[in-house]
Amino acid sequence: MDDPIRTREFLERLERGDKIEATDWMPSEYRDLLIKQIHMHGISEIMGAYPEKEWVPKAPTIRRKLALNAKVQDEIGHGQMLLRLAEDLSRPYGRGREALMDDVIAGRVKFHNVFHMAAPTWADAGVIGFLVDGGAIITQAMLLDSSYAPYARMLKRIVAEESFHMQHGESVVLALAEGTEAQRSMLQEAINRWWEPMMFFFGPREMGRGSQRMMEYKIRTLTNEELRQKFINRYVPRVRALGLTLPDPKLKQDPATGLWEYTDPDWDWFNRMVRDNSGPMSQARIALRRFAHEEQRWVREAVRRASDELARLPGA
Amino acid sequence: MEQAMQEALIRLVTPIADDEWIVGHRGSEWLGLAPELEEDLAFSSIHQDEMGHALFFYELLHALGAPDPDRQVYARPAEAWRNACFVEMPNGDWAATVVRRYCYEVFDRLRLDALTAVGFPPLRDGLKKIQREEAYHLKHFQLWMELLANGGEEARHRLDAALAAVWPTLPDLFGWGLGEAETTALGLPSARALKDAWVREVRPRFESWHLSWPNDPPSASWNGREGAHTPHLSELLNTMRAVRELAPDAPW
Amino acid sequence: MTSSEYPVYEVFGQKDRLSFHTHVGSIRAPNPEMALQMAREAFFRREAVVDIWVVPQDAIYSAARDPAYLPAIGDDKKYRLPSGYDNAPHWKRFKAKAMTIEEVAEEMTAKRR
Repeated sequence: MDDPIRTREFLERLERGDKIEATDWMPSEYRDLLIKQIHMHGISEIMGAYPEKEWVPKAPTIRRKLALNAKVQDEIGHGQMLLRLAEDLSRPYGRGREALMDDVIAGRVKFHNVFHMAAPTWADAGVIGFLVDGGAIITQAMLLDSSYAPYARMLKRIVAEESFHMQHGESVVLALAEGTEAQRSMLQEAINRWWEPMMFFFGPREMGRGSQRMMEYKIRTLTNEELRQKFINRYVPRVRALGLTLPDPKLKQDPATGLWEYTDPDWDWFNRMVRDNSGPMSQARIALRRFAHEEQRWVREAVRRASDELARLPGA
Repeated sequence: MEQAMQEALIRLVTPIADDEWIVGHRGSEWLGLAPELEEDLAFSSIHQDEMGHALFFYELLHALGAPDPDRQVYARPAEAWRNACFVEMPNGDWAATVVRRYCYEVFDRLRLDALTAVGFPPLRDGLKKIQREEAYHLKHFQLWMELLANGGEEARHRLDAALAAVWPTLPDLFGWGLGEAETTALGLPSARALKDAWVREVRPRFESWHLSWPNDPPSASWNGREGAHTPHLSELLNTMRAVRELAPDAPW
Repeated sequence: MTSSEYPVYEVFGQKDRLSFHTHVGSIRAPNPEMALQMAREAFFRREAVVDIWVVPQDAIYSAARDPAYLPAIGDDKKYRLPSGYDNAPHWKRFKAKAMTIEEVAEEMTAKRR
């Protein structure tokens, strides 16, 4: 049990708007919430690389191929930065990179629902950049104010890189929207596929206890519903401007409150998918991570061993 | 510029552009799959560089009268590609990838150094930045070779298997894709001389890594420099073009 | 090095909680503990910092020793930058406004300012 006096002082620090560092004392609940959040965030970045990665070899122009390459690389980079934070926080538990990555393969860490879904066309690669990155940017921009300083600092860097992702995603979508009938219908179908997953993306209307505690600890600052409303408000007009439709007949903005009405996603189905890794692509993508991490553990072991050995050589 | 010179330059630069493009494409297949996140980033940047170099060479070719870069990449049949079959081979495991990339980088540096002798200013201007990036690529894969070679039993075993698989595919890498007279006229060393220089560089390294020398690279039975490719290239090109084919002339 | 000469520590200061540690200079000190105390007086007599790091100089492995390790950023890497895209005229064609990430960041952090 944490010392109640230190806990009270800690909460007072948060109240004053103080930021917390990795080496500061923190209540174990705060640490555990941070680990859960940042671990999942980092792993989602890494698993989020895979749906788009499929389209790198097939990107239809040299420029698109370079850009998509760079974008997927950034996702891995964000995963790297975030995992480093989660690793530092997990040190008291004796868990580092290997353990945090093992969790993906053992199904002990969840990742965002959108990365369990299939991306069957090039338009999906574009719509992921447009809508999924758009949603992620909204969530991450909120986290710029996080009470955990290393997270807020890293988010500043990540959001700056997301700026390129946003431009890239929009550029792909705009090109398809301006293209042939076939290109436009490919785009419409992709939007139809991604809209419901995006409604789930921000989480339930009523937040769970963990999310509420994260608000109280100022790890995050907006509710799920606030984030979803901001997303709908930004993206519905843009999709409609492109002459495309959204697959939700209930979508309507209340002129008085500005709030949007929308059809609830199938909460049970998505929840089960995220919990059990039972989505259309969950297992295939975990298999890719298993290859990278588990089946190539020999590489990491070998180069560690070699580095130790070479350091011992005379003249090293 | 004389037409003969122009054509010679096109023949000289096409295999280089194609090598770099295919190396970049194969490298991008590793995205998200490297043995560690940090290596994923480094490996991806290196292969974006390679595609960037290819783009520079394709633009140079375009200025010499060849089709534009996107056409070169997306609209040429396999037999019109001049990359070495060596670079079109599937990646294999990490050890095979490291071996192939190391072999290529040593060759690429020798080739770039030789190219500075060609009296064509737009080429020479572009080489500087490319050489700088390639110097880093070479160091990267040289370090990987050293680490795997000193990495204990499993790494050793995999490295030996990789060498056995990669070595027989080496021969067509060393060619320029030009006739002998043309090679000399452009001020370039012969393919034979390039290969010898490559052996002089690689062999002592192998010794220092205690890797046994698998014999000098055999001579060619296929030759990508003449457009005779393995089925791996057509497969790669089909994948690469799958999206663009849906609307070949539309903007994407 | 004579036995009375202290080793060198590179000094980094963090201006506020949301900034990264920045290099400010170096000092000599007999050990890390003393280095922290020396650094405080050598570099931070006038500016407030929320943290100071001291790092033994010989623990630093610098890219400057080999230019090949330094990034070569040229126009050919424009595809990685937001400035490499010009979506505004396309959005205009659809009678919509281009959006920037700065706008989004502002909206998401505005409420509490």
